[in-house]
Amino acid sequence: MTTVIPFGPQHPVLPEPVSLKLEIDNDVVVGVLPSLGYVHRGLEKFIDTKDFNQTMYICERICGICSGIHGITYSRAVEKLFDIEVPERAQYLRVINSELCRIHSHLLWLGLFADGFGFESLFYECWKYREDVLDVLERFTGNRVIHSMSKVGGASRDLTKEQIDQILKTLDDLEPKVKNIEKVFVNNYTVKKRLVGLGVMSKQLAYEAGTAGPTLRGSGNAIDVRNTSDYDIYKDLGFKTAVAKEGDCYGRTKVRIDEIYEAIKLIRNAISKLPEGEIATRVKGFPTGEAIIRAEQPRGEVVYYVKGNGTKNLERLKVRTPTFANIPSLLLMLPGVKLADVPIVVLTIDPCISCTER
Amino acid sequence: MLDNVIQNITEIKSMPEVLKAVEGFKSDGYRYVTMICLKANEGHELIYIFEKDNKLKNLRYFVKPGEKPKSMSGIYLCALLIENEYQDLFGLTFEGLAIDYKGHLYLTPNSPKTPLA
Repeated sequence: MTTVIPFGPQHPVLPEPVSLKLEIDNDVVVGVLPSLGYVHRGLEKFIDTKDFNQTMYICERICGICSGIHGITYSRAVEKLFDIEVPERAQYLRVINSELCRIHSHLLWLGLFADGFGFESLFYECWKYREDVLDVLERFTGNRVIHSMSKVGGASRDLTKEQIDQILKTLDDLEPKVKNIEKVFVNNYTVKKRLVGLGVMSKQLAYEAGTAGPTLRGSGNAIDVRNTSDYDIYKDLGFKTAVAKEGDCYGRTKVRIDEIYEAIKLIRNAISKLPEGEIATRVKGFPTGEAIIRAEQPRGEVVYYVKGNGTKNLERLKVRTPTFANIPSLLLMLPGVKLADVPIVVLTIDPCISCTER
Repeated sequence: MLDNVIQNITEIKSMPEVLKAVEGFKSDGYRYVTMICLKANEGHELIYIFEKDNKLKNLRYFVKPGEKPKSMSGIYLCALLIENEYQDLFGLTFEGLAIDYKGHLYLTPNSPKTPLA
Protein backbone atom coordinates (compact mmCIF):
# COMPACT_ATOMS: atom_id res chain seq x y z
CA MET A 1 0.00 0.00 0.00
CA THR A 2 1.34 3.43 -0.92
CA THR A 3 1.18 6.73 0.95
CA VAL A 4 1.51 10.23 -0.54
CA ILE A 5 3.89 12.48 1.42
CA PRO A 6 4.39 16.18 0.57
CA PHE A 7 8.04 17.26 0.22
CA GLY A 8 8.15 21.06 0.41
CA PRO A 9 7.30 23.75 -0.51
CA GLN A 10 9.01 24.66 2.79
CA HIS A 11 11.80 22.23 3.61
CA PRO A 12 15.13 22.65 5.44
CA VAL A 13 17.17 21.77 2.32
CA LEU A 14 15.18 23.93 -0.09
CA PRO A 15 16.36 27.53 -0.40
CA GLU A 16 13.29 28.23 -2.56
CA PRO A 17 9.77 26.82 -2.55
CA VAL A 18 8.99 23.81 -4.71
CA SER A 19 6.69 20.98 -3.79
CA LEU A 20 6.98 17.31 -4.65
CA LYS A 21 4.16 14.92 -3.94
CA LEU A 22 5.99 11.69 -3.19
CA GLU A 23 4.22 8.36 -3.47
CA ILE A 24 5.93 6.14 -0.91
CA ASP A 25 5.81 2.38 -0.56
CA ASN A 26 7.60 0.98 2.49
CA ASP A 27 9.88 4.05 2.78
CA VAL A 28 10.82 3.94 -0.91
CA VAL A 29 9.67 6.44 -3.53
CA VAL A 30 7.55 4.89 -6.26
CA GLY A 31 6.06 8.03 -7.82
CA VAL A 32 6.69 11.80 -7.98
CA LEU A 33 4.53 14.77 -8.93
CA PRO A 34 6.28 18.17 -8.93
CA SER A 35 4.19 21.20 -8.12
CA LEU A 36 5.28 24.74 -8.99
CA GLY A 37 3.80 28.22 -8.84
CA TYR A 38 4.96 29.59 -5.49
CA VAL A 39 7.22 32.34 -6.91
CA HIS A 40 5.84 32.92 -10.41
CA ARG A 41 6.27 36.65 -11.12
CA GLY A 42 5.19 36.95 -14.75
CA LEU A 43 8.45 38.63 -15.85
CA GLU A 44 7.89 37.69 -19.51
CA LYS A 45 4.68 39.74 -19.37
CA PHE A 46 6.23 42.51 -17.29
CA ILE A 47 8.65 43.45 -20.08
CA ASP A 48 5.66 44.77 -22.08
CA THR A 49 6.10 47.92 -20.01
CA LYS A 50 9.88 48.19 -20.43
CA ASP A 51 12.02 49.13 -23.43
CA PHE A 52 14.64 46.72 -24.73
CA ASN A 53 17.44 48.35 -22.73
CA GLN A 54 15.48 48.28 -19.46
CA THR A 55 14.56 44.63 -20.10
CA MET A 56 18.20 43.68 -19.45
CA TYR A 57 17.73 44.72 -15.81
CA ILE A 58 14.53 42.66 -15.59
CA CYS A 59 16.35 39.60 -16.98
CA GLU A 60 19.07 40.00 -14.36
CA ARG A 61 16.40 39.76 -11.70
CA ILE A 62 15.15 36.40 -12.93
CA CYS A 63 17.72 34.88 -10.59
CA GLY A 64 19.92 36.19 -7.81
CA ILE A 65 22.74 33.70 -8.39
CA CYS A 66 23.20 33.55 -12.16
CA SER A 67 21.96 37.11 -12.68
CA GLY A 68 25.12 38.19 -14.50
CA ILE A 69 24.78 35.48 -17.15
CA HIS A 70 21.06 36.24 -17.59
CA GLY A 71 21.95 39.86 -18.38
CA ILE A 72 24.76 38.87 -20.72
CA THR A 73 22.64 36.31 -22.59
CA TYR A 74 19.77 38.75 -23.04
CA SER A 75 22.23 41.35 -24.36
CA ARG A 76 23.66 38.83 -26.82
CA ALA A 77 20.18 37.93 -28.06
CA VAL A 78 19.24 41.56 -28.74
CA GLU A 79 22.65 42.21 -30.32
CA LYS A 80 21.82 39.38 -32.72
CA LEU A 81 18.63 41.24 -33.70
CA PHE A 82 20.68 44.37 -34.39
CA ASP A 83 23.36 42.25 -36.08
CA ILE A 84 26.13 44.12 -34.28
CA GLU A 85 29.59 42.96 -33.29
CA VAL A 86 30.51 43.56 -29.67
CA PRO A 87 34.06 44.89 -29.01
CA GLU A 88 36.49 42.11 -28.17
CA ARG A 89 37.36 43.57 -24.77
CA ALA A 90 33.66 43.47 -23.81
CA GLN A 91 33.51 39.78 -24.73
CA TYR A 92 36.46 39.08 -22.43
CA LEU A 93 34.85 41.09 -19.63
CA ARG A 94 31.66 39.07 -20.07
CA VAL A 95 33.59 35.81 -19.78
CA ILE A 96 35.36 36.99 -16.62
CA ASN A 97 32.02 38.04 -15.08
CA SER A 98 30.30 34.79 -16.13
CA GLU A 99 33.02 32.56 -14.71
CA LEU A 100 33.17 34.46 -11.41
CA CYS A 101 29.39 33.88 -11.23
CA ARG A 102 29.93 30.18 -11.92
CA ILE A 103 32.50 29.88 -9.12
CA HIS A 104 30.33 31.60 -6.50
CA SER A 105 27.25 29.64 -7.62
CA HIS A 106 29.03 26.28 -7.36
CA LEU A 107 30.50 27.19 -3.96
CA LEU A 108 27.03 28.19 -2.82
CA TRP A 109 25.66 24.86 -4.05
CA LEU A 110 28.47 22.83 -2.46
CA GLY A 111 27.70 24.53 0.85
CA LEU A 112 23.97 23.89 0.58
CA PHE A 113 24.68 20.31 -0.42
CA ALA A 114 26.98 19.75 2.57
CA ASP A 115 24.27 21.23 4.78
CA GLY A 116 21.78 18.88 3.12
CA PHE A 117 23.68 15.79 4.23
CA GLY A 118 24.43 17.23 7.65
CA PHE A 119 28.08 18.34 7.30
CA GLU A 120 27.75 21.79 8.87
CA SER A 121 31.45 22.70 9.07
CA LEU A 122 31.88 21.91 5.36
CA PHE A 123 28.90 24.15 4.62
CA TYR A 124 30.57 27.02 6.50
CA GLU A 125 33.87 26.49 4.68
CA CYS A 126 32.24 26.58 1.22
CA TRP A 127 30.30 29.74 1.97
CA LYS A 128 33.34 31.39 3.55
CA TYR A 129 35.30 30.87 0.31
CA ARG A 130 32.33 32.12 -1.70
CA GLU A 131 32.45 35.41 0.16
CA ASP A 132 35.92 36.11 -1.31
CA VAL A 133 34.47 35.78 -4.81
CA LEU A 134 31.51 37.99 -3.96
CA ASP A 135 33.93 40.62 -2.61
CA VAL A 136 35.76 40.63 -5.93
CA LEU A 137 32.49 40.89 -7.86
CA GLU A 138 31.44 43.77 -5.64
CA ARG A 139 34.68 45.63 -6.38
CA PHE A 140 34.37 44.81 -10.10
CA THR A 141 30.67 45.61 -10.61
CA GLY A 142 29.49 47.49 -7.53
CA ASN A 143 27.17 44.73 -6.33
CA ARG A 144 27.44 41.27 -4.82
CA VAL A 145 24.83 39.45 -6.90
CA ILE A 146 23.02 41.80 -9.32
CA HIS A 147 25.94 43.03 -11.38
CA SER A 148 24.50 44.99 -14.35
CA MET A 149 27.88 44.53 -15.97
CA SER A 150 26.45 43.87 -19.42
CA LYS A 151 24.35 46.07 -21.68
CA VAL A 152 23.10 45.77 -25.23
CA GLY A 153 26.21 46.55 -27.27
CA GLY A 154 28.88 45.46 -24.82
CA ALA A 155 29.87 45.99 -21.21
CA SER A 156 28.85 48.82 -18.91
CA ARG A 157 31.98 48.67 -16.75
CA ASP A 158 35.67 48.16 -17.45
CA LEU A 159 38.31 46.56 -15.26
CA THR A 160 41.16 48.62 -13.85
CA LYS A 161 44.66 47.26 -13.31
CA GLU A 162 44.04 47.16 -9.54
CA GLN A 163 40.81 45.20 -10.00
CA ILE A 164 42.53 42.70 -12.27
CA ASP A 165 45.28 42.19 -9.68
CA GLN A 166 42.62 41.72 -7.01
CA ILE A 167 40.84 39.06 -9.10
CA LEU A 168 44.08 37.17 -9.76
CA LYS A 169 45.09 37.28 -6.09
CA THR A 170 41.66 36.01 -5.02
CA LEU A 171 41.88 33.13 -7.50
CA ASP A 172 45.40 32.26 -6.30
CA ASP A 173 44.12 32.12 -2.73
CA LEU A 174 40.93 30.27 -3.68
CA GLU A 175 42.43 27.39 -5.65
CA PRO A 176 44.14 25.62 -2.70
CA LYS A 177 41.04 26.14 -0.58
CA VAL A 178 38.90 24.40 -3.23
CA LYS A 179 41.43 21.55 -3.25
CA ASN A 180 40.87 21.17 0.49
CA ILE A 181 37.09 20.92 0.24
CA GLU A 182 37.40 18.71 -2.85
CA LYS A 183 39.22 16.13 -0.71
CA VAL A 184 36.20 15.94 1.57
CA PHE A 185 33.53 15.84 -1.13
CA VAL A 186 35.39 13.30 -3.27
CA ASN A 187 37.27 11.11 -0.78
CA ASN A 188 35.52 11.27 2.58
CA TYR A 189 34.09 7.87 3.49
CA THR A 190 30.86 9.17 5.04
CA VAL A 191 30.17 11.61 2.21
CA LYS A 192 30.76 8.91 -0.41
CA LYS A 193 28.42 6.54 1.43
CA ARG A 194 25.66 9.16 1.04
CA LEU A 195 26.32 9.99 -2.62
CA VAL A 196 27.69 7.03 -4.57
CA GLY A 197 25.04 5.06 -6.43
CA LEU A 198 22.26 7.43 -5.39
CA GLY A 199 19.83 9.04 -7.90
CA VAL A 200 21.42 7.30 -10.85
CA MET A 201 20.60 8.44 -14.37
CA SER A 202 22.27 6.70 -17.32
CA LYS A 203 23.99 8.68 -20.06
CA GLN A 204 21.19 7.91 -22.52
CA LEU A 205 18.40 8.67 -20.05
CA ALA A 206 19.90 12.02 -19.04
CA TYR A 207 20.21 12.97 -22.71
CA GLU A 208 16.71 11.90 -23.66
CA ALA A 209 15.23 13.61 -20.60
CA GLY A 210 16.49 16.94 -21.94
CA THR A 211 18.57 17.67 -18.84
CA ALA A 212 21.15 20.43 -18.81
CA GLY A 213 24.42 21.43 -17.18
CA PRO A 214 26.10 19.35 -14.46
CA THR A 215 23.00 17.11 -14.32
CA LEU A 216 23.62 16.17 -17.97
CA ARG A 217 27.43 16.09 -17.76
CA GLY A 218 27.36 14.13 -14.48
CA SER A 219 25.90 11.27 -16.53
CA GLY A 220 28.77 11.24 -19.03
CA ASN A 221 27.41 13.62 -21.70
CA ALA A 222 30.12 16.09 -22.72
CA ILE A 223 27.63 18.79 -23.74
CA ASP A 224 28.40 22.38 -22.84
CA VAL A 225 27.17 25.45 -24.71
CA ARG A 226 30.56 27.08 -24.13
CA ASN A 227 31.89 24.74 -26.81
CA THR A 228 29.84 26.46 -29.52
CA SER A 229 31.84 28.58 -31.90
CA ASP A 230 30.10 31.94 -31.48
CA TYR A 231 29.80 32.09 -27.69
CA ASP A 232 31.92 35.15 -26.99
CA ILE A 233 35.59 34.19 -26.96
CA TYR A 234 35.41 30.87 -25.07
CA LYS A 235 36.85 29.00 -28.06
CA ASP A 236 40.10 31.01 -27.73
CA LEU A 237 40.57 30.27 -24.03
CA GLY A 238 41.31 26.55 -23.98
CA PHE A 239 38.08 25.47 -22.37
CA LYS A 240 37.70 21.82 -21.30
CA THR A 241 34.30 20.28 -20.55
CA ALA A 242 33.99 18.70 -17.09
CA VAL A 243 32.31 15.30 -17.28
CA ALA A 244 31.73 12.43 -14.85
CA LYS A 245 30.57 9.03 -15.97
CA GLU A 246 28.94 7.87 -12.71
CA GLY A 247 25.50 9.43 -13.35
CA ASP A 248 24.77 9.61 -9.61
CA CYS A 249 24.87 12.32 -6.93
CA TYR A 250 28.61 11.77 -6.56
CA GLY A 251 29.19 12.31 -10.30
CA ARG A 252 27.17 15.54 -10.37
CA THR A 253 29.17 16.82 -7.39
CA LYS A 254 32.51 16.03 -9.05
CA VAL A 255 31.45 17.89 -12.21
CA ARG A 256 30.72 21.07 -10.24
CA ILE A 257 34.05 20.91 -8.41
CA ASP A 258 35.91 20.38 -11.70
CA GLU A 259 34.03 23.32 -13.18
CA ILE A 260 35.36 25.60 -10.42
CA TYR A 261 38.94 24.77 -11.47
CA GLU A 262 38.00 25.21 -15.13
CA ALA A 263 36.41 28.60 -14.37
CA ILE A 264 39.56 29.71 -12.52
CA LYS A 265 41.64 28.69 -15.53
CA LEU A 266 39.29 30.50 -17.94
CA ILE A 267 39.45 33.74 -15.94
CA ARG A 268 43.26 33.62 -15.78
CA ASN A 269 43.44 32.99 -19.54
CA ALA A 270 40.93 35.75 -20.26
CA ILE A 271 42.89 38.23 -18.13
CA SER A 272 46.19 37.25 -19.75
CA LYS A 273 44.70 37.88 -23.21
CA LEU A 274 42.48 40.84 -22.31
CA PRO A 275 42.81 43.24 -25.27
CA GLU A 276 42.80 47.03 -25.02
CA GLY A 277 40.02 49.03 -26.63
CA GLU A 278 36.40 50.02 -26.43
CA ILE A 279 33.98 48.13 -24.18
CA ALA A 280 30.73 48.90 -26.02
CA THR A 281 29.30 49.55 -29.47
CA ARG A 282 26.70 52.26 -29.85
CA VAL A 283 23.26 50.81 -30.63
CA LYS A 284 20.90 52.84 -32.79
CA GLY A 285 17.25 52.22 -33.62
CA PHE A 286 14.87 49.53 -32.40
CA PRO A 287 15.17 45.74 -32.73
CA THR A 288 13.37 43.76 -35.41
CA GLY A 289 13.24 40.05 -36.25
CA GLU A 290 13.70 37.05 -33.98
CA ALA A 291 16.69 35.24 -32.54
CA ILE A 292 17.64 32.43 -30.22
CA ILE A 293 20.73 32.52 -28.06
CA ARG A 294 21.95 29.90 -25.62
CA ALA A 295 24.44 30.25 -22.80
CA GLU A 296 25.93 27.98 -20.14
CA GLN A 297 24.84 29.04 -16.68
CA PRO A 298 26.14 27.33 -13.53
CA ARG A 299 23.04 25.10 -13.56
CA GLY A 300 23.22 24.46 -17.29
CA GLU A 301 21.99 25.67 -20.63
CA VAL A 302 19.73 28.73 -20.68
CA VAL A 303 17.82 29.61 -23.86
CA TYR A 304 16.71 33.13 -24.73
CA TYR A 305 14.23 33.82 -27.51
CA VAL A 306 13.58 37.45 -28.45
CA LYS A 307 11.31 38.95 -31.07
CA GLY A 308 11.36 42.62 -31.97
CA ASN A 309 8.84 44.51 -34.07
CA GLY A 310 10.67 47.76 -34.74
CA THR A 311 9.39 49.49 -31.59
CA LYS A 312 11.28 50.17 -28.35
CA ASN A 313 9.51 47.22 -26.67
CA LEU A 314 10.17 43.59 -27.54
CA GLU A 315 7.15 41.73 -28.87
CA ARG A 316 8.15 38.54 -27.07
CA LEU A 317 10.81 37.40 -24.64
CA LYS A 318 10.98 33.75 -23.69
CA VAL A 319 13.52 32.31 -21.26
CA ARG A 320 14.00 28.57 -20.77
CA THR A 321 16.16 28.16 -17.69
CA PRO A 322 18.27 25.10 -16.79
CA THR A 323 16.24 24.07 -13.75
CA PHE A 324 13.12 24.07 -15.96
CA ALA A 325 14.93 21.47 -18.07
CA ASN A 326 16.13 19.50 -15.06
CA ILE A 327 12.93 19.19 -13.02
CA PRO A 328 11.44 16.44 -15.25
CA SER A 329 14.57 14.36 -14.56
CA LEU A 330 13.40 14.06 -10.93
CA LEU A 331 10.55 11.88 -12.25
CA LEU A 332 13.25 9.48 -13.44
CA MET A 333 15.79 9.78 -10.61
CA LEU A 334 13.59 9.60 -7.53
CA PRO A 335 11.66 6.33 -7.98
CA GLY A 336 13.53 3.65 -6.04
CA VAL A 337 15.19 6.18 -3.71
CA LYS A 338 14.58 6.01 0.07
CA LEU A 339 12.60 8.89 1.55
CA ALA A 340 15.62 9.99 3.64
CA ASP A 341 17.71 10.37 0.48
CA VAL A 342 15.19 12.48 -1.45
CA PRO A 343 16.66 15.84 -0.28
CA ILE A 344 20.14 14.80 -1.50
CA VAL A 345 18.88 13.78 -4.96
CA VAL A 346 16.74 16.91 -5.33
CA LEU A 347 19.70 19.13 -4.39
CA THR A 348 21.95 17.56 -7.03
CA ILE A 349 19.99 19.24 -9.84
CA ASP A 350 20.78 22.54 -8.03
CA PRO A 351 17.15 23.66 -8.22
CA CYS A 352 16.59 27.36 -8.82
CA ILE A 353 12.89 27.98 -8.61
CA SER A 354 12.98 31.74 -9.24
CA CYS A 355 14.64 30.92 -12.58
CA THR A 356 12.18 28.15 -13.34
CA GLU A 357 9.05 30.18 -12.76
CA ARG A 358 10.31 33.62 -13.73
CA MET B 1 27.47 27.42 -34.37
CA LEU B 2 24.36 28.85 -32.78
CA ASP B 3 21.39 29.12 -35.07
CA ASN B 4 19.15 32.05 -35.79
CA VAL B 5 15.53 30.97 -35.88
CA ILE B 6 14.74 32.82 -39.08
CA GLN B 7 17.50 31.12 -41.03
CA ASN B 8 17.02 27.59 -39.76
CA ILE B 9 13.35 26.94 -39.35
CA THR B 10 11.08 24.43 -41.02
CA GLU B 11 7.45 25.40 -41.23
CA ILE B 12 5.00 22.51 -40.91
CA LYS B 13 1.36 22.70 -41.96
CA SER B 14 -0.40 19.95 -40.00
CA MET B 15 -0.18 18.44 -36.52
CA PRO B 16 0.35 14.83 -37.73
CA GLU B 17 3.35 16.10 -39.72
CA VAL B 18 4.70 17.83 -36.59
CA LEU B 19 4.39 14.58 -34.62
CA LYS B 20 6.15 12.68 -37.39
CA ALA B 21 8.94 15.26 -37.55
CA VAL B 22 9.42 15.22 -33.76
CA GLU B 23 9.55 11.41 -33.75
CA GLY B 24 12.15 11.70 -36.48
CA PHE B 25 14.23 14.05 -34.32
CA LYS B 26 14.00 11.60 -31.43
CA SER B 27 15.16 8.66 -33.53
CA ASP B 28 17.96 10.80 -35.01
CA GLY B 29 19.26 11.48 -31.49
CA TYR B 30 18.16 15.08 -31.01
CA ARG B 31 17.65 16.51 -27.53
CA TYR B 32 14.43 18.41 -26.82
CA VAL B 33 15.42 21.95 -25.81
CA THR B 34 12.14 23.83 -25.48
CA MET B 35 9.14 25.24 -27.28
CA ILE B 36 8.32 28.91 -27.87
CA CYS B 37 4.73 30.12 -28.05
CA LEU B 38 3.67 33.42 -29.61
CA LYS B 39 0.39 35.04 -30.47
CA ALA B 40 -0.20 34.94 -34.24
CA ASN B 41 -3.25 36.56 -35.81
CA GLU B 42 -6.19 34.90 -34.05
CA GLY B 43 -4.25 31.75 -33.19
CA HIS B 44 -0.80 30.87 -31.89
CA GLU B 45 2.58 30.07 -33.29
CA LEU B 46 4.66 27.24 -31.80
CA ILE B 47 8.40 26.93 -32.39
CA TYR B 48 9.89 23.59 -31.32
CA ILE B 49 13.64 23.65 -30.67
CA PHE B 50 15.92 20.58 -30.76
CA GLU B 51 19.68 20.24 -30.36
CA LYS B 52 22.31 17.78 -31.47
CA ASP B 53 26.09 18.30 -31.53
CA ASN B 54 25.53 21.93 -30.47
CA LYS B 55 23.39 22.64 -33.55
CA LEU B 56 19.80 23.76 -33.19
CA LYS B 57 16.93 22.68 -35.41
CA ASN B 58 13.56 24.34 -35.24
CA LEU B 59 10.03 23.57 -36.36
CA ARG B 60 7.32 26.18 -36.68
CA TYR B 61 3.62 25.36 -36.54
CA PHE B 62 0.61 27.70 -36.53
CA VAL B 63 -2.17 26.67 -34.17
CA LYS B 64 -5.55 27.71 -35.55
CA PRO B 65 -8.06 29.36 -33.21
CA GLY B 66 -9.76 26.66 -31.14
CA GLU B 67 -7.33 23.94 -32.27
CA LYS B 68 -5.89 21.62 -29.61
CA PRO B 69 -2.27 20.77 -30.46
CA LYS B 70 -0.92 17.33 -29.59
CA SER B 71 1.42 17.00 -26.64
CA MET B 72 4.99 15.91 -27.35
CA SER B 73 5.36 14.50 -23.83
CA GLY B 74 4.68 11.00 -25.18
CA ILE B 75 7.82 11.32 -27.31
CA TYR B 76 9.91 13.55 -25.04
CA LEU B 77 8.70 13.36 -21.41
CA CYS B 78 10.44 16.66 -20.65
CA ALA B 79 8.00 18.50 -22.95
CA LEU B 80 5.33 18.26 -20.27
CA LEU B 81 6.42 21.29 -18.25
CA ILE B 82 6.59 23.76 -21.13
CA GLU B 83 3.27 22.54 -22.53
CA ASN B 84 1.64 22.98 -19.12
CA GLU B 85 3.19 26.48 -18.93
CA TYR B 86 1.49 27.47 -22.18
CA GLN B 87 -1.81 26.04 -20.99
CA ASP B 88 -1.51 28.49 -18.07
CA LEU B 89 -0.18 31.53 -19.88
CA PHE B 90 -1.76 31.30 -23.35
CA GLY B 91 -4.88 29.22 -22.67
CA LEU B 92 -3.84 26.46 -25.09
CA THR B 93 -4.95 22.87 -24.52
CA PHE B 94 -2.45 20.13 -25.36
CA GLU B 95 -3.96 16.72 -26.02
CA GLY B 96 -2.31 13.70 -24.43
CA LEU B 97 -0.15 15.48 -21.81
CA ALA B 98 1.75 13.00 -19.61
CA ILE B 99 0.89 15.11 -16.53
CA ASP B 100 -1.86 17.68 -17.01
CA TYR B 101 -2.01 20.49 -14.43
CA LYS B 102 -5.14 21.80 -16.24
CA GLY B 103 -4.04 25.43 -16.34
CA HIS B 104 -2.68 25.49 -12.79
CA LEU B 105 1.04 24.81 -13.11
CA TYR B 106 1.76 28.35 -11.93
CA LEU B 107 -1.61 30.01 -11.63
CA THR B 108 -4.05 29.61 -8.76
CA PRO B 109 -7.84 29.79 -9.27
CA ASN B 110 -7.74 33.49 -8.29
CA SER B 111 -4.85 34.43 -10.64
CA PRO B 112 -5.35 36.42 -13.85
CA LYS B 113 -6.47 34.09 -16.65
CA THR B 114 -4.09 33.37 -19.58
CA PRO B 115 -1.96 36.51 -18.96
CA LEU B 116 0.10 36.18 -22.16
CA ALA B 117 -2.83 35.40 -24.49
